Parts: sequence; C-alpha cells; structure tokens
Amino acid sequence: MPVKFSEVTNNLKVLQTIYIEVLGDLRELDKLLLEFNRIYRDFIPCRDWLECRLALAEGFTNAVRHAHKNIPPEITIEIEVLLRRNYLEIRIWDYGSAFNLQEFIVKTARKHNSWLSSGRGIPLLNKIADRLDYQRTKQNRNCLLIIKRFSDHRSKNTTTEQKNICMDI
Amino acid sequence: MNSVVQIIEPEGILDGTKTDDFQHQLDRSINSGVQAILVDFSNVTFMDSSGLGALVKALKSLKAAEVDLFLCSINDQIKMLFELTSMDEYFTILDNRAEFNQQLQK
Repeated sequence: MPVKFSEVTNNLKVLQTIYIEVLGDLRELDKLLLEFNRIYRDFIPCRDWLECRLALAEGFTNAVRHAHKNIPPEITIEIEVLLRRNYLEIRIWDYGSAFNLQEFIVKTARKHNSWLSSGRGIPLLNKIADRLDYQRTKQNRNCLLIIKRFSDHRSKNTTTEQKNICMDI
Repeated sequence: MNSVVQIIEPEGILDGTKTDDFQHQLDRSINSGVQAILVDFSNVTFMDSSGLGALVKALKSLKAAEVDLFLCSINDQIKMLFELTSMDEYFTILDNRAEFNQQLQK
C-alpha cells in the first residue's frame, strides 16, 4: 500500500524536544535518566524505550570516561532529545578531541570477545541504534547522534504497570 | 548439597560508579570460602555495560575459584542488556530466591 504524503510528514513532525545539561561526572547518570523520562509517551514500545535509555546511558558514560577524561567535571555535557512519531533522536555534545567512531567500531568487531569486562558500550550502542554517528562540530566539540526507530508492534493502551516498568519506577 | 552461600544485594543503578564496591564484595566472599554466590537484583533499577562488565569479571574469577554464581530477580531492562550482549548464555539467571533455594536442594 502506498504511504500517504500526510502520513510521512506526520511521522517526521517533532512532537517534543528536551535539553539536558549534566556535569562530566558518572554520578550524574541517575539525574540524566530521570530527566530523560520527561519525553516518554505511551505509544513508545516498552522495549524500544528501554533500549533508548540504555543507549543514552552508554553515550553519556562514554563521553565522561573517554572524551572528558582529561577535562574537569564542571565542564558540562549537553544532551538534546527529539521525539518524532516513529523514532527518537539523541544528541550528546562533548568537549573531547576528535575521534573516528566508525573506524573504532570496525576494529572492535574484528576482535570480538565475550569475556570482556569493559569496552562493551560502543558495540552495544551500535546494536541498539538504527543510525549512529560521531561528528566534529564547528565549536570544537563532538556530537554523538543516536537514532532509534520504534518497532511497529505498539500496544494501544499501555497500562500503568507497564509504564512503571519502562521508567524503572 | 550443603553449601556455604553468600547473597549479595546491590541497589539502585549498577554502573561504573558501583563496580569497585561490587568487586570488593565478591572478593571478600571468595576469600571467606563460600561455595555459591547469589546476586539478587530486586533492588537494582538500571544496569549499564560497566555493571555487566563487573559481572563478567566476577564470573571469571568465581569460575577459577570454583564458586557457583547465580543471578535472580532481574528486571526487564537488565534482561534486555543480557540479551543484547548474548551474555545470558553464560550466566545462570533464576526467577527469584525461591528458585535459588530449589537449586541448592538439588
């Protein structure tokens, strides 16, 4: 069945945008996840939402651990989240030096090892995201873009119980 | 089976800020000569790849010390993390403590 133009534009419409600014400190994860819950809507499939929360956490902790390794924690990490009908876009800006994410993904995929006790963050992000990109910006920052498309199986009526599971309440 | 069992109950978010504490707890248990360790996740709301990394590290050292490791009461988020990384194949994940007690009686 051909997709109607109105449907396409409807799916692209930004329903909500939120900005979150946190310190470059791993302990900020709690606050970040809580703030992120503000963008949750009942129509987002629970599994996708849980994956988005995990992707956000992995993107943030990577920025703190690697990009901001030699940067004081007072220097903040900025996050923008855009919700569209069909997908969620997460952007995470850090002040670290330039880094070739694609090259890193290819390299780590080659030396796959189940028994790793670290270094799972980026492979995990790559698995969750439908699009993953890390670009140098004009302001000498980096921006990690994570796009997660929602699956088609959405429950029409999310119960309060399901909603609480989604948000870890 | 007459085992000396240690139960560990982490709380809140199990991430990079908690992994050292978690590791120390496990090391203490190994040194005290336990035969089985149960990590009860009832009070863990969220786990990231660093938390998982700590568990993998624990599993390795426990295997070497011939201590059995069991996990129980993991929420949907933690379950998803195990599935995405295919690490559910390596861990014994039980529904709850009752199932753990059943395992011990075997």
